[in-house]
Amino acid sequence: MEDYKYLFKVVLIGEAGVGKTCLVRRFTQGLFPPGQAATIGVDFMIKTVEIDGDKVKLQIWDTAGQEKFRSITQSYYRAAHGLVLVYDVCSQNTFDALPQWMVDIESFANQKVMSYLVGNKTDRGDAREVPTHIGKQFADRYEMKFLETSAKEADNVDKLFIDMATILTEEIRSRRLVPDSQSADISKDTKSISSCAQCFKL
Amino acid sequence: MSCVGCCKAIKPRYKRLVDDIFPVNPQDGLVKNNMDKLTFYALSSPEKLDRIGEYLASKLSRDVARKRYTLVKIAMDALDQLLVSCHDYSLNLFVESFLKMVQKLLECDELELQVLATASFVKFANIEEDTPSYHRRYDFFVSKFSVMCHGGTNNDKQRSRIRLSGVKGLQGVVRKTVSDELQVNIWDPIHMDKIVPSLLYNMHDPGFVPVDIESTKDDEHPAQVAETVLRDLICRASYGNLKPVLRPILVHMDNHKLWTPPTFVVKCFKIVMYSVQQQYAYVVIQALMSHLDTHQKSAPDIKAAIVDVLFEAVIIAAGASVGPSVLDVFNTLVKHLRISLDNKSSDETIRAQEKKFEESLINTIGQFANNLPDYQKIEIMMFVMAKFPQFTAEESYGLQMDVQLQTMLLKTLLKVATKYKTVNMANAFPQEFLQPLLRMSLFEEPGMRIIVQEILHTLIDRHENSEKLRHVQVIRDVAKMGIKLEKVSRPDSLFMKKHGSQFYWYLCENMRLESNKVDNFEALYRTMALITVETGSRDIVSDLIRLALDMQNISMNDLSLPLTHKCAIHALVGALLCLVAQICELPELLQYTLEILECRKTEAPHMLPEFAFNRKNRPNSASELHVTILTDFNHKLYPEVETLRDSWVFQQEAISSILMSAEVDVSRLSTSFIQKPLGVSEVDGNRSMSDVNSIVMDFESPEASPMQGRRRETEEITVESLKKMLAEDPKVRREEEERKRLEIVNTFRNDPFEEIVARAEAKSNHFHNKLNEILSMVSRGSDSPAMLRGASKQPPTILDIQFPDLYVY
Repeated sequence: MEDYKYLFKVVLIGEAGVGKTCLVRRFTQGLFPPGQAATIGVDFMIKTVEIDGDKVKLQIWDTAGQEKFRSITQSYYRAAHGLVLVYDVCSQNTFDALPQWMVDIESFANQKVMSYLVGNKTDRGDAREVPTHIGKQFADRYEMKFLETSAKEADNVDKLFIDMATILTEEIRSRRLVPDSQSADISKDTKSISSCAQCFKL
Repeated sequence: MSCVGCCKAIKPRYKRLVDDIFPVNPQDGLVKNNMDKLTFYALSSPEKLDRIGEYLASKLSRDVARKRYTLVKIAMDALDQLLVSCHDYSLNLFVESFLKMVQKLLECDELELQVLATASFVKFANIEEDTPSYHRRYDFFVSKFSVMCHGGTNNDKQRSRIRLSGVKGLQGVVRKTVSDELQVNIWDPIHMDKIVPSLLYNMHDPGFVPVDIESTKDDEHPAQVAETVLRDLICRASYGNLKPVLRPILVHMDNHKLWTPPTFVVKCFKIVMYSVQQQYAYVVIQALMSHLDTHQKSAPDIKAAIVDVLFEAVIIAAGASVGPSVLDVFNTLVKHLRISLDNKSSDETIRAQEKKFEESLINTIGQFANNLPDYQKIEIMMFVMAKFPQFTAEESYGLQMDVQLQTMLLKTLLKVATKYKTVNMANAFPQEFLQPLLRMSLFEEPGMRIIVQEILHTLIDRHENSEKLRHVQVIRDVAKMGIKLEKVSRPDSLFMKKHGSQFYWYLCENMRLESNKVDNFEALYRTMALITVETGSRDIVSDLIRLALDMQNISMNDLSLPLTHKCAIHALVGALLCLVAQICELPELLQYTLEILECRKTEAPHMLPEFAFNRKNRPNSASELHVTILTDFNHKLYPEVETLRDSWVFQQEAISSILMSAEVDVSRLSTSFIQKPLGVSEVDGNRSMSDVNSIVMDFESPEASPMQGRRRETEEITVESLKKMLAEDPKVRREEEERKRLEIVNTFRNDPFEEIVARAEAKSNHFHNKLNEILSMVSRGSDSPAMLRGASKQPPTILDIQFPDLYVY
C-alpha cells in the first residue's frame, strides 16, 4: 500500500523575493503565479517523482525570506535532507547575502545535508547582475551543486528537483546517508505492519 | 502489497465490511447500518482492527489521488467512529494507519481536507491511550500544523479557518505528547521553535479585536484559541522545559519588532506569568533578565520595554519572583542602569528614552525589593550603596563621580527604602548601613542631599508623619497637627542613645553647607523632627536639645554662611525646640521657647520660620525661591547690620536649668557634637608610647562608632587631663576648640589640594607606624583575646572611614 519508496524533505531558503515560492509552484503545480505575495512563515508542498523506477516523495518546505520569520524558518532546516539556497541573478544584494545564509546552514542544518545553490530569474537576461561563473565559483567554494533557473520559463526547474531526488536516492542506496530515525527509510517491506510503522519514522 | 485481486467473493470479511460502508452514490454519506456492523466486528475481533485500518487507509489514499473528496470524508468519518468506539489495547496499530491517513490528507492541497484531517487528529488527541507508543513521531504534524498557522490565503474566511485548524492541531499534538514521558519530547527546541512562534503569530493578529469576550463566537477566533493553547503549554511546562518555550517567545518579539509599543509583549508575558507554575515564575524573570543582557546595545526604547515587561511580571509573580539569586537580579538591574547612564548620547530623543528606561529600571528594582523580606531590603540597599564610586576609589570622592549615576542610585535606594517597613530602628539602621548612608548625606550636590534625607525620612517614619512635618513651622499644639505618636520602645531609645550622635553630627555638618537650598533645610528639619517624633523621649531629650544648640552655634559662629542660611537655621532651631519640648513633655521648655520666639516676632522677625522659609512667592522652583528670599530679606525684612541679641537666641544655661528642674540628665548637654569627628586631626604625635594601653582600652569599647572612639581620644583619659578639665573654664576651652576647628576648616578650605594630600599621607604613615608598633606590642605582650580582636579590627575601620571625612572640606 506504500505509494512511495523514499521520502525526502527539501527546504528552500534565500532572501525575500528571489522566487522560492515560484520555483516550488512551478515544480509542483506547473504554473507560474504572477504577483505572488510574500510567504508567511513557511509553506508546504508535496510532489512524487520517479527515479530509476522507484517512487520518491519530495516534501518541499518553502520558507519565508523575510527577516522577521527567520527564527521559525530556521527550525525547519534541521530535519531537511536537501537545502535549496536561492538567489536572484538580477540582484547583487541577494547574492551578497549568501555567506550569511551559509552560516545559518552550518549552525542549524544537519551536517550531511545536501545543498544546492540556485540562481533564479535567468529569463531577465538584460537585468542580470550576477554572472554565471561567479555563482558557480561560490558554489564550488562551499561544495554545493549549482544551477541557474527560471521559474517563469520553467527553465531548469524540473531538472533541479529531479537532480536533488536522484542524488539523495543514490546516497541512500549507497547508504552514505545513515538512515537514522530522522532520515528516509530503508525499505524493509517484509511485512505490512513493519512498513506501516516505518512510515511514521519519517 | 494489496494483491488480493478484485474479485469480491474471495475478499476477506473485514474488507467486505469496509467496502459496504461506502454508499453507491457518494452524496448519500456513510451507510449507517453497515458502519454499525463494521464497528461491532471490530469490537468483537480487535485483532482485525489494524487490518481494517490499513485497508481503509489504502482506499482513502486512492480516493485522494482521484480527488473523490466526498468519499474521503466518509472514510475519515468511519475512521473517527472506529477510533472512538475501540478503546482498546489493539488501538495502537490502528492508530498507525489512522495517522498515516491524517498525514496524507494534510499533504494535499485541498484546504477542506486539511481542516477535516485536523479535526480528526484533534479527536484522536483527546483519546487517552493506555498503551504507550514508543515509535510514534509527530515531527510532520508539528511542522505542518505550524505551516497552517501561517496560512496566507487571500480569502479572509479561509485563512481564518486554516489558521484555526493549525492552532487546534498544535494543541492536539501538545496534549497528546505532553503528559507522557515515553512519547516524543515535545519540549525539544526543534518543536518549540515552530509551535511557539506560530501561536504568537496568531495571537498578534491585528485584525482580531476582543471586543466582546462573552460571545461564544470569539472562542473560535485563531487568536483566542492560540492564547488558550499557549496558556495550556506554559502551565504544563516544568522547570527544565520552560526555557525552550520562553526563548522562542523572546526571539519572536525581537524578530517581529514587537517590543515597541510593548502592549502585546506585556499581554503575552501576563499570560505567561499567570499560567506558569508558581514555583517556576522566577525562571521567566531570569529569562527576561538575560534577554535584557543581550539587548545591552539596543535602542533604549526596546530596553525600556523589556524592563516594563519585567516590572509587570514581577508584580504578578510576587513572592516567588526573585528566586535564589537575589543579589544577581539586583546586580543586573543596577548594571544596566549604569550602562544606560554611561551611554551619553547627544541626541535629545534618545536621551529622553534613556531617561524613561532608567525610570522604569528604578521602578522595577523597587518592585523587586517589595517582594523581599525586610532584612533583605536593607541588604539590597547596602548592595546598591556599594555601587557608589567613592566607596571603591576614595580619591574620586565627590569629584569625578558622575552626578547622574549617583542621583539614579540614590533614587533606587529611595525606592527600595520606601518599600521597607520600619519596625525597629536598630534593624532598620545596622551600623554597616547607617554609616555610609550618613556619609552620603554630605554630597556636594544639594539635590542629592535631599534624596539622602528622604531616604532617612522614609526609614525613620513609621506613622506617616513625614507629610505633616513637611514645612518648618512653629507647632504650638502637636495633637492638632494630627501627628501620630507612640510610646517609644526601649530598643529604639537605646539605639538612639548609642547611635544618635552619628545622626546629629551629620545633621550639623549638613547645616554648614553653603550650597543648601530651602528644600535642603526643610529636609533636614524633617529628619530631625521625625527623629524627635519617633524616638523622642526623656532619655535622649538632652541630645536633641544639644543638637539644636549646636546648630544655633553654627549659625552664630560660622561667619562664612550667608545671611539667609543663618536665619533659616535660627528659625529651624526654634521650630525644632518647640517640637522637642512637646514630644518630650517639658512644659517649661516649651514656655521658654515660645518666649524667645515671641521676642523674635517683635524684634527679629527674620529669625522666624514664617519668614525664613517663606515660599509663598514662588513655591515651584527651589533656586528661584532662594533668590526671592534673598531679595526679600535684603530689601524689606532683613536689618542692614547683622546683629544678634541674647534675647533672640536660646541660652544653654537657661535650658539646662529648665531641664535640671524637670529632672533630666543634663550631663550630655555640655558636650557638643560638632567637635567629635574633627578630633581625629588633633591626635598627633604628642601621645607617647606609654599610652598604648589606654589606646587598647579605646579599642575595647565594643561597638563604639568611630566617632565615639574619637571622642575618648581627644579627651585623654589621664588623671592629668581630668584635673585640667576641672580647672579649666568650660567656655574658654570651648572657644579654644572652636578656634582650632576653624583653623582646620580653613586649612582644608584654602590650602592647595596637594598639600592636604601630603599632610593626610604623612598622617596616615604615622598612623601606620603606630599601628605596627601597637600590633607588635600586642602580639608580644598581651594574650587577652579581646585586645587582639580589638586591635586587629578597629584600625582598618578608622582608616576606611576617617579619610573620606577629611576630604569633605
